[in-house]
Amino acid sequence: MVLLTMIARVADGLPLAASMQEDEQSGRDLQQYQSQAKQLFRKLNEQSPTRCTLEAGAMTFHYIIEQGVCYLVLCEAAFPKKLAFAYLEDLHSEFDEQHGKKVPTVSRPYSFIEFDTFIQKTKKLYIDSRARRNLGSINTELQDVQRIMVANIEEVLQRGEALSGSAEIDTLNQKKYSSESPTFNKQHFLSYLG
Amino acid sequence: LCLANKNIECSFCLLFLFVEILERVWEISFLFVMLFCFCLDLLFQQYPGVSQLSSSLGGLSLQSSPQPESLRPVNLTQERNILPTAPVWAPVPNLNLDLKKLNCSPDSFRCTLTNIPQTQALLNKAKLPLGLLLHPFRDLTQLPVITSNTIVRCRSCRTYINPFVSFIDQRRWKCNLCYRVNDVPEEFMYNPLTRSYGEPHKRPEVQNSTVEFIASSDYMLRPPQPAVYLFVLDVSHNAVEAGYLTILCQSLLENLDKLPGDSRTRIGFVTFDSTIHFYNLQEGLSQPQMLIVSDIDDVFLPTPDSLLVNLYESKELIRDLLNALPNMFTNTRETHSALGPALQAAFKLMSPTGGRVSVFQTQLPSLGAGLLQSREDPNQRSSTKVVQHLGPATDFYKKLALDCSGQQTAVDLFLLSSQYSDLASLACMSKYSAGCIYYYPSFHCIHNPSQAEKLQKDLKRYLTRKIGFEAVMRIRCTKGLSMHTFHGNFFVRSTDLLSLANINPDAGFAVQLSIEESLTDTSLVCFQTALLYTSSKGERRIRVHTLCLPVVSSLADVYAGVDVQAAICLLANMAVDRSVSSSLSDARDALVNAVVDSLSAYGSTISNFQHSALIAPNSLKLFPLYVLALLKQKAFRTGTSTRLDDRVYAMCQIKSQPLVHLMKMIHPNLYRIDRLTDEGAIHVNDRVVPQPPLQKLSAEKLTREGAFLMDCGSVFYIWIGKGCENNFIEDVLGCPNFASIPQKMTHLPELDTLSSERTRSFITWLRDSRPLSPVLHVVKDESPAKTEFFQHLIEDRTEAAFSYYEFLLHIQQQICK
Repeated sequence: MVLLTMIARVADGLPLAASMQEDEQSGRDLQQYQSQAKQLFRKLNEQSPTRCTLEAGAMTFHYIIEQGVCYLVLCEAAFPKKLAFAYLEDLHSEFDEQHGKKVPTVSRPYSFIEFDTFIQKTKKLYIDSRARRNLGSINTELQDVQRIMVANIEEVLQRGEALSGSAEIDTLNQKKYSSESPTFNKQHFLSYLG
Repeated sequence: LCLANKNIECSFCLLFLFVEILERVWEISFLFVMLFCFCLDLLFQQYPGVSQLSSSLGGLSLQSSPQPESLRPVNLTQERNILPTAPVWAPVPNLNLDLKKLNCSPDSFRCTLTNIPQTQALLNKAKLPLGLLLHPFRDLTQLPVITSNTIVRCRSCRTYINPFVSFIDQRRWKCNLCYRVNDVPEEFMYNPLTRSYGEPHKRPEVQNSTVEFIASSDYMLRPPQPAVYLFVLDVSHNAVEAGYLTILCQSLLENLDKLPGDSRTRIGFVTFDSTIHFYNLQEGLSQPQMLIVSDIDDVFLPTPDSLLVNLYESKELIRDLLNALPNMFTNTRETHSALGPALQAAFKLMSPTGGRVSVFQTQLPSLGAGLLQSREDPNQRSSTKVVQHLGPATDFYKKLALDCSGQQTAVDLFLLSSQYSDLASLACMSKYSAGCIYYYPSFHCIHNPSQAEKLQKDLKRYLTRKIGFEAVMRIRCTKGLSMHTFHGNFFVRSTDLLSLANINPDAGFAVQLSIEESLTDTSLVCFQTALLYTSSKGERRIRVHTLCLPVVSSLADVYAGVDVQAAICLLANMAVDRSVSSSLSDARDALVNAVVDSLSAYGSTISNFQHSALIAPNSLKLFPLYVLALLKQKAFRTGTSTRLDDRVYAMCQIKSQPLVHLMKMIHPNLYRIDRLTDEGAIHVNDRVVPQPPLQKLSAEKLTREGAFLMDCGSVFYIWIGKGCENNFIEDVLGCPNFASIPQKMTHLPELDTLSSERTRSFITWLRDSRPLSPVLHVVKDESPAKTEFFQHLIEDRTEAAFSYYEFLLHIQQQICK
């Protein structure tokens, strides 16, 4: 299930558009994730990886950054990564075409809130199981999702510095390092990222 | 020589002394000159700011006369014409000119006492209510909107920066509510309007007492919601008989494109009788699909989406539905009304987003949760004793309203009933969810065309007026003052935070104040309302109003500053609460006591108090008249036949109407219109609008030879005297004589005569001054319709109530006890 979709400007974290899952139950629990998302936007900058997955307990954030705009989605951990990124790519191409040029000029939060309508339609496509099977066979050009960096959202937010580093990182290596002492792990991780 | 020497010594001493004295005098006069220059300096210096002057000199007008006009004693028992011939304006607070100019408009914010007593003890002595009347979201023609990265607020009390703060130096400002010193942020030093730097006191936030901020995402709990409108419609046999559906659907079809919103706007429809009917309006369907849920004890939504659809994408389907609805139920035999379950369904539909639910009901809900019994005893309508059933019979509607409010959904009620429908219970659905209530007694689209017309006009305003979603309102006041009771339709979330699922421009609020700590340290107090809302286009905004008032320490000054209209509106709100929590007679007694106590307390301030006369200060001279009007108002009157729903509705109106409208309800304006002249006329948009004088509400003024217009706010009456000149009847009404005037005339024809033009010009001008277009009734002298009209002549005696003069005598008696 896709629960929360947010689009923000990387330069200052200004929210541009968003859509929340329309469900009596899940709506209320999304507060915490929303605030994490907002904090994350503020930490992003030009050095941040353009593709990333962030684990947040039972949920997962996935985001892409294109042309200074970050497209973020929150889904259940079991939701296929490939689909999540294909969804974000779809949002990016439509948003960029409709509003891309205006992004640097706006100052009001959610200036493109009307994009919500498109987000909801696209979301439906990706949730509907028939569509999913179809999508599974398309999109071979999508970057190998295995190579996308995985991190833990709490760690990312608690770290004082902005999320930064190269896009590709060996996930196996990361797990190995996390077993060692926290300080060493952090330093090594940071030095790796440069 | 010795003597001469002594003389010289003496003279030297004297001379020395003289010089000493001269020096002292010189010093002192020098000091005076310095002081004078310093004062002049302060007076004319623009920076650090006028506000510093005001706080040091107490902000009082430098030209206050020894006894202001408002304190002039008026002998009420002798004054035959107490009502002024020109409209009563809001009193202007006694502040210096600069503060006066900056102060909040009284149309947005008014206080019952424009001179705030320094202590609670002083307030208690005056025996007057202290409170604020607010109209925070009223339609404004001019509103400064501030888009700024930083919204400057006090660090401790979170007050928004406003015209009444003081700048200590360029870099620091002192909060006028809690006195905390704050830093001026760097961005604030730059003024985008004048493009100058270093003059923070010239920024628009500090130059305007009513501003609107564009809020950052910190002010949002979730992304701004879209405009979502749901219509829940009674389609029982009774409803079809009444025939409101045609009017509603017609109005919706005309105004679909004018519903406030953007491309995300959603709309949905639910109809109900003994079952609930949903409509699938999914884009792509060839026609709307009706889905019936008959299990009203466990309501569920038949399909997860497509019931609330995007307005633009499904427009054709929506139009089809609106065209079909009036005829879909013509042969229905369903007499039951499952309103409760329908509302439960509405709640489920609206929960994910929030928005507005508009309920149209024509009878007592008779089935399912929330069903109501008829509680009114028609024989008790004229009772002078206990009036029962003013409160709800069940808490179902209140609970539902609270649930809705929690999901940012407001429920508005249109009650179009021909019989008792227990409005006291139904009203709760709107009261606690920040909704609004419209009432059309004896509604029938054919037999009661004036109600049908009223519905049509009200709908036009209702559907197209501005609306704010997921709103909260907070009122702050200077340290020492506190708020304790709020009046209006909302949910009180905490001591000063009001939760408003919707905010509309016709909603009024009131709040009662008390003085917790003596206001000895300050000569000014301020009040600030901040309304945070999402506009229909998804913008998060904060509308801020700030009001500044002087503090006084003498009882006479308190009386000098009374705003009698604000006081009466606040008392009316309090009386409604008292009627429901205690009894109607208690409330009535409290109203009378308000006059007795305040005039008695005033009497103690004037030196030669005569017991043979009833004296009031000029500021309070209309107080007994207004209280009498309130006692004869439908909400509070006894002894005159009043239907329970009508009474309850009048009470709902008192609690939710803004002051200007409420005053017309309480004390309508009466004008003579058969002798309109251009004398004193005003010019509005190339039209000449006559300004006839106001008449007192007494049959004494209704000469048989005249024609009169009564403006009651939402209704106009034109009364034609039996002996009215034929010229007027012909030229304005288009009828040959009195006898031929139809019994139910609701429009004035557009005739090419001077008097017709003048009359219509005046009526149009009155109409344009308010958002809700009133209905017009032409009432002939001696026709059965005149009872309604005559009930508004409050100065006259009736079988059940005093005349104005008798009321004055009664008050006098009570004071002398």
